[in-house]
Amino acid sequence: MKNIFKLTGIAATLFLGVGCSEEFLDKQPSEFLTQSQVAEAASNNPEVIAGSVAGIYTLQFESGSGGTGGHDDFGQKAYDIYGDMLSGDVALSVSSFGWYRSNITEFQATQDFTNGDNYQVWRYYYRIIRSANLVIDALGGNDAVPELAENKYLLGQAKAMRAHSYFYLTQYFTKKYDPNAEILPIYVTSDDVNGPKVTAAEIFALIEKDLNDAISLLDGFNRTAKNQVNKAVAQGILAYALAFQGDDWQTVKDLTGDVIANGGFRLMNRDEVTGGFNDASTPGWMWGVDLTTDSGVGLLSWWGQMDYFSYSYAGYGDYKAMDSDLYAQISDDDIRKSQFLNDPSSSNHLQPWFKFYDPAKQPRGTSTTIVNDLIYMRVAEMYLLHAEAAANLGMDGEAIAALQTLLNERVDDASYVTSLGGQALKDEIYLQTRIELWGEGKSYLALKRNMETVVRGPNHLSFVGVPIPYDDERLTFEIPQEEILYNPFVNSQND
Amino acid sequence: MKKRLNGLLTLLLVLVVQLGFAQEKTVTGTVLDEDGLPLPGVNVIEQGTSNGVQTNFDGEFTLSIEVGDVMVFSYLGFATKEVAVTSADVYDVVLSVDAAALDEVVVVGYGTATKRSFAGTATTVDAENLEVKAYSNISQALAGEVAGVNVINTSGQPGTTSTIRIRGFGSVNGSRTPLYVVDGVPFSGSINSINPSDIKSTTILKDATATAIYGARGANGVVLITTKTGSSAAEDYIEVDVRTGVNDQIIPRYDVVRSPEEYIGYVWEGIYNRAVIEGSANPVDVANANLFSDNYVPAGYNLWNVANGAELINPETRMVRDGVTRRYNPESFADEAFDSAIRTEANVRFGGGDEQTTYFASVGYLNDDGYAVNTGYDRYTTRLNVKSDVKEWLEIGANIGYTFSESLNNGQTVGSENVFEFADKTAPIFPVFLRDDNFQKIEDPIYGGFLYDYGSSSNFRTRPQSDNLNPIGSALYDFNGTDRHELNGNFSLNLDITDNLTFETRFGAQYYMDRFISASNPFYGTSVGEGGSLFKRDREVLTTNFLQLFRYNNQFGNHTIEALAAHESNDFEFDEDTQFKTKVVLPGLYELNNYIVNAQPPTGFNEGRSIESYFGQINYDYDDKYYLTGSVRRDGSSRFVNEKWGTFGSVGAAWVVTNEDFLYNNDIISFLKLKASYGITGDQAGVGFYSGFNTFDLGNLNGNISVSVLDNGNPDLTWETSRQLQAGVEFSLGRWLDGSVDYYVKDTDNLIFDRRVGPSQGIAIITVNDGELRNSGLEFNLTGHLVDSKDFKLDLNVNGEILNNEILTMPLEPSTGEPRILDRSNAPYAYSEGRSIFDIYTREWAGVDPANGAPLWYQYFDDVNGNGTFDGDDVAIQTMVPYLADNPDANVQKTITDTYVDATEKYIGKSGIPDVRGGVRLNATWKNFNFSTQMLYSFGGYAIDFQYAELMSDRFGAVGNNYHTDIANRWQRPGDITNVPRLADAFDPRAASTSTRFLTKTDYLAINNAIVGYTLSGDKLGDAVNSLNIFVSGDNLFAKTAREGFLPYTSESGNSGRRLYAPLTTFTMGVRVKF
Repeated sequence: MKNIFKLTGIAATLFLGVGCSEEFLDKQPSEFLTQSQVAEAASNNPEVIAGSVAGIYTLQFESGSGGTGGHDDFGQKAYDIYGDMLSGDVALSVSSFGWYRSNITEFQATQDFTNGDNYQVWRYYYRIIRSANLVIDALGGNDAVPELAENKYLLGQAKAMRAHSYFYLTQYFTKKYDPNAEILPIYVTSDDVNGPKVTAAEIFALIEKDLNDAISLLDGFNRTAKNQVNKAVAQGILAYALAFQGDDWQTVKDLTGDVIANGGFRLMNRDEVTGGFNDASTPGWMWGVDLTTDSGVGLLSWWGQMDYFSYSYAGYGDYKAMDSDLYAQISDDDIRKSQFLNDPSSSNHLQPWFKFYDPAKQPRGTSTTIVNDLIYMRVAEMYLLHAEAAANLGMDGEAIAALQTLLNERVDDASYVTSLGGQALKDEIYLQTRIELWGEGKSYLALKRNMETVVRGPNHLSFVGVPIPYDDERLTFEIPQEEILYNPFVNSQND
Repeated sequence: MKKRLNGLLTLLLVLVVQLGFAQEKTVTGTVLDEDGLPLPGVNVIEQGTSNGVQTNFDGEFTLSIEVGDVMVFSYLGFATKEVAVTSADVYDVVLSVDAAALDEVVVVGYGTATKRSFAGTATTVDAENLEVKAYSNISQALAGEVAGVNVINTSGQPGTTSTIRIRGFGSVNGSRTPLYVVDGVPFSGSINSINPSDIKSTTILKDATATAIYGARGANGVVLITTKTGSSAAEDYIEVDVRTGVNDQIIPRYDVVRSPEEYIGYVWEGIYNRAVIEGSANPVDVANANLFSDNYVPAGYNLWNVANGAELINPETRMVRDGVTRRYNPESFADEAFDSAIRTEANVRFGGGDEQTTYFASVGYLNDDGYAVNTGYDRYTTRLNVKSDVKEWLEIGANIGYTFSESLNNGQTVGSENVFEFADKTAPIFPVFLRDDNFQKIEDPIYGGFLYDYGSSSNFRTRPQSDNLNPIGSALYDFNGTDRHELNGNFSLNLDITDNLTFETRFGAQYYMDRFISASNPFYGTSVGEGGSLFKRDREVLTTNFLQLFRYNNQFGNHTIEALAAHESNDFEFDEDTQFKTKVVLPGLYELNNYIVNAQPPTGFNEGRSIESYFGQINYDYDDKYYLTGSVRRDGSSRFVNEKWGTFGSVGAAWVVTNEDFLYNNDIISFLKLKASYGITGDQAGVGFYSGFNTFDLGNLNGNISVSVLDNGNPDLTWETSRQLQAGVEFSLGRWLDGSVDYYVKDTDNLIFDRRVGPSQGIAIITVNDGELRNSGLEFNLTGHLVDSKDFKLDLNVNGEILNNEILTMPLEPSTGEPRILDRSNAPYAYSEGRSIFDIYTREWAGVDPANGAPLWYQYFDDVNGNGTFDGDDVAIQTMVPYLADNPDANVQKTITDTYVDATEKYIGKSGIPDVRGGVRLNATWKNFNFSTQMLYSFGGYAIDFQYAELMSDRFGAVGNNYHTDIANRWQRPGDITNVPRLADAFDPRAASTSTRFLTKTDYLAINNAIVGYTLSGDKLGDAVNSLNIFVSGDNLFAKTAREGFLPYTSESGNSGRRLYAPLTTFTMGVRVKF
């Protein structure tokens, strides 16, 4: 019997002794962090709070941020390429892997709401909006004015990023500005759940309020890196948003004028515009991101699609070239004509071999890691927008002055501009915008602002010579199937 | 051990001596049954020979035989008995009724049961049926063995583990994976680490009473694996088996165009047709001018002795002109990629023991090379299983297996550079080897041989398909493989507290360390720019499982009771580190120091999960007639935040009708058991380890911390639960038919469901517990003993399942409070109430317009004005189910459109779930020969053959991919009636997009395995050798499917996917010797 008690004792001890504590069922990740882990980190390290805004900037170049596994899904610059191709200024001149070919250059995405490219654009910008909303909520909400200067700057950046995303959504999902049209669902806090589309006027009211808030919140903000939105960048975004609406050119002119005068940037010179566009520290860049090895960027990137001298599709048979008709319009004394390979016998003809390139200039790159920087905005855009605003206000002299300032850095003799006026001047500004900003994602915005028509040159693979007006349905994305199916309040496409 | 060694040493001597002393004599005897009655017609045979007689009417026999030989007494329905001939001359033998099959012990959850008594459905697969198959692991070998178990062999890469599905599809977005339990310990390692030749039995648990004891983790069925043990009953033994064979691809691939001339004709025709459609004045000129240009066929790839398209193509026939000769013959990627390879396997097993201690030990070696260039799997396994009664009241056991494996997976990049993609889809005009401007191959100064054609980076010409890639070169010069060390083992301790009460504890652990290396060479291909690259990923997993269990057994008269109560905890920890470096110093040396550039920051993390459980079970048996069982289990999982705990359980009953007086010893119904069970099981594996939390990604942005939003979590997530009701019957009819039939209904609710959100909310999915799914099915397993005579036995087994799957309730849409109407996230299927999760929802193909060859689809519309045509206020229907939900009274009509996006998406009345599927096995023995073959079948399902669609796709530039030979049926001239649209250089967008055009039956009939063997036993082999078996076998010998190359059994849905490494066919010769 003794034995029995002894054995029972051993058994019972083992049985009960390992009855686990509650901690046994608590597991914490380390590949990423949970919200409470982040909060814990933030309680001892203010850098972590700033990190949540940096996180938005990281999403801007993160592959897969559009919710797909596509090699054309890598954040803001992915949609810059969509825009450049829709506008026709970037021609897909050789295609062997098929990216962009049918969906974008043949307009299959923009005519089929089940096509994943629609989802990608929509998903990306609304993802940024939610990320911004999380930061705004954490800093006290939409109407807060934080006392700490650091927090003021963070709130300003988050608001600017939210406005930037709403602005791009209006560009890609509406044909033109119609204040009364219900175009997009609106979310101003991270708690907001699926809701109906609201009018363009309401969206733009938010965009303008956010940017005006940002401009005042960011006053005095001395940013540490060019990926951060500062006051000038917020002014630039607001200028674009107002110019699109087309009813307040004066403010556009004022904002751009202020950036030119006080932003602290100078135009890129001739050497710089043929220097590779790979360095965010270039004085002409207002906004961009300095990628490093630690950024983890590779083939799925703007460089991986556009640059022949990176490990890229552009190196391996998906050639993106300048529209040959646009190229033909560049005057021979223009430094920008030398940005493109001019060799009609080569299948690489008109690739931007001398505009965008990896510094090593080795075909197909020296590394599968991308460390060349990404450009979001530069001060030349402010000169061009300033000229455009002035021209629209009938102030041709000021328009000519702004345009000439830029062109003096590009052509041997820019005096021809002084003879232009009225529509001819506007046309010239539009042309110079397309040439100056080729491949930078701005042609599409200009196309819509100027209500122009796309006519593709012969080096495109399809739709050569077919006029496609800016408000053609082929040029705007469809609200994706996922929104129609899964948001019960959205049942229709935009007109 | 010493004794056995001496035995081995004397082996030859004994054989020699024995010949001289053989001494024949005549023996007599009588054979009786257990009641003492004589048995006439009993076979009495000298073992291993054909020398034998039958007993007479009085059960008597007379046989000439030598001393030391063995007499084998066999009689249908009785257990076979062996009697050694000694100096005695008279042998009276009693044969007992063969109840072995029914009293066979089945390992079930946390205990054992006999087949007779078990109230649930547990199917044990004969080790012999699994061992003969030439697979590296048990999962692949299970195909076709058990009704209701679907084994999906997803790849021919040697060392692949198959996907297993038990009883349908238990969840929509959650896990459908069964739980593996090895020697009583839940297993989370690789099933490859268990050498199939070390496995004693494999049991599949399907119904709730069998699986509920695993509670939380049994919802998708359980695969119980028991490894071999020693035995004190038999003599110590050594068993050696060696087999060698050939792996190859015998099952055909897609039938694609192989002739460059045929192919170039299609290219020309595509350009020509597009020019016609676009209104060109001279389409022939357009085609001639463009054929050899960079966006079609670059001039450098003109492999004919002609200058241009006009000289090559006859515009009348659109084919290559007669008399045109080639500059060179382009090699085929398929020929270069695939070749037969060798498979070799050797295993040695030792077993034995005495009354106190038993042991089993084994070593195994496998070298399995795939038919695709540079693919293979090498494995070394060892196992030691020891049990000992240390004290009268204490038994300890230790069972440890160690496996080292090297897997070589070259050429299977998930991307364009994949040998299988190239083999099937590269246009036959493109050679494997580079040609210079004179069309000569170029010697490779680095690796020898000739240079491979990498397209533009070879510096001769741009290849408009998969430029810069050559999978043959990369498979040869790059490296992609994994080395893995894996340990699994358990230590157990059983205390007998009283005669009726025992305490058992078992600590089990599985550990693996897995090093993946992917290296690209610096000379050719993707890593030329960076001077070669090396990616290294180390993974380490430790799973520990600790069980403590009290077991109580007692018998009161006719009542037998067994009860257990237990606690178990399971912990899983995963670690991963990665490095990526470039610029190699010495190519071929895959170590980090040999690469000098840190191209990416290293990464590393740890994650894990844990489960804790309390459970109990009671089994009751009255007089071997009535069996009752009940269990309850409570589990907590770390994956859930607010609701960690779930409670599960089951009840079951069985009635052995043939043990009742009215059926006892019935000749027709020799066995009949009725059974029923009901139980609740759970699943938690369908959500991530941290799905309950909002998570944030960490990054470095210009040296500063970046914290970006990753996933949105749901802290209310909890267990998915299944309620399964089963009724079944097991029976034997005479001695000719054994069978079982089960019917079950399994309702899974609280489904782990990825509820889609309108993505404007900034998130796309909220994982919730919502919705309800029903799986119901009928499973049958019939074995007929067709012939059973002295020399010839023939058994036929047929098993199968008839499965139904239906979504009973869709998850709620919170903003409206109504169930979601349609979820399209799993195209080409859709989820909606009343439909199965594999109901195909797509556009309907309407054929080809005979006038112009354009593709056509059906467009449905709401015929508002009722005139039968699509006009006026009629509303086009984009997607049918939501439209009908909003407009239940719609007057739906259909019309035809040539625009794909205008066609209506709808349920087409076809499902991916077959009507019936299963396996057929034929076993035969004739004298010492044995023959067995196994076939798999499936009927009544449908899938989309996406790969065929790609091969029928009229791609841009026309040279983007190869064509299936069916392209010969394309529309060519007005009036052609065909189902294949015109070639028009992709003028018709999306002609090959998903639609019923590519709907394909998933029916198949496949010969999975066949084996012929010959066994020698008895003293012909001498004292030391017990038996010798030689065999030849073949695996995956034949498959009849709807289309060559379309292998629906390689994916869960049956759809075809890119990059399929089609399963290997293996021919093996082997020998097995038991000492």
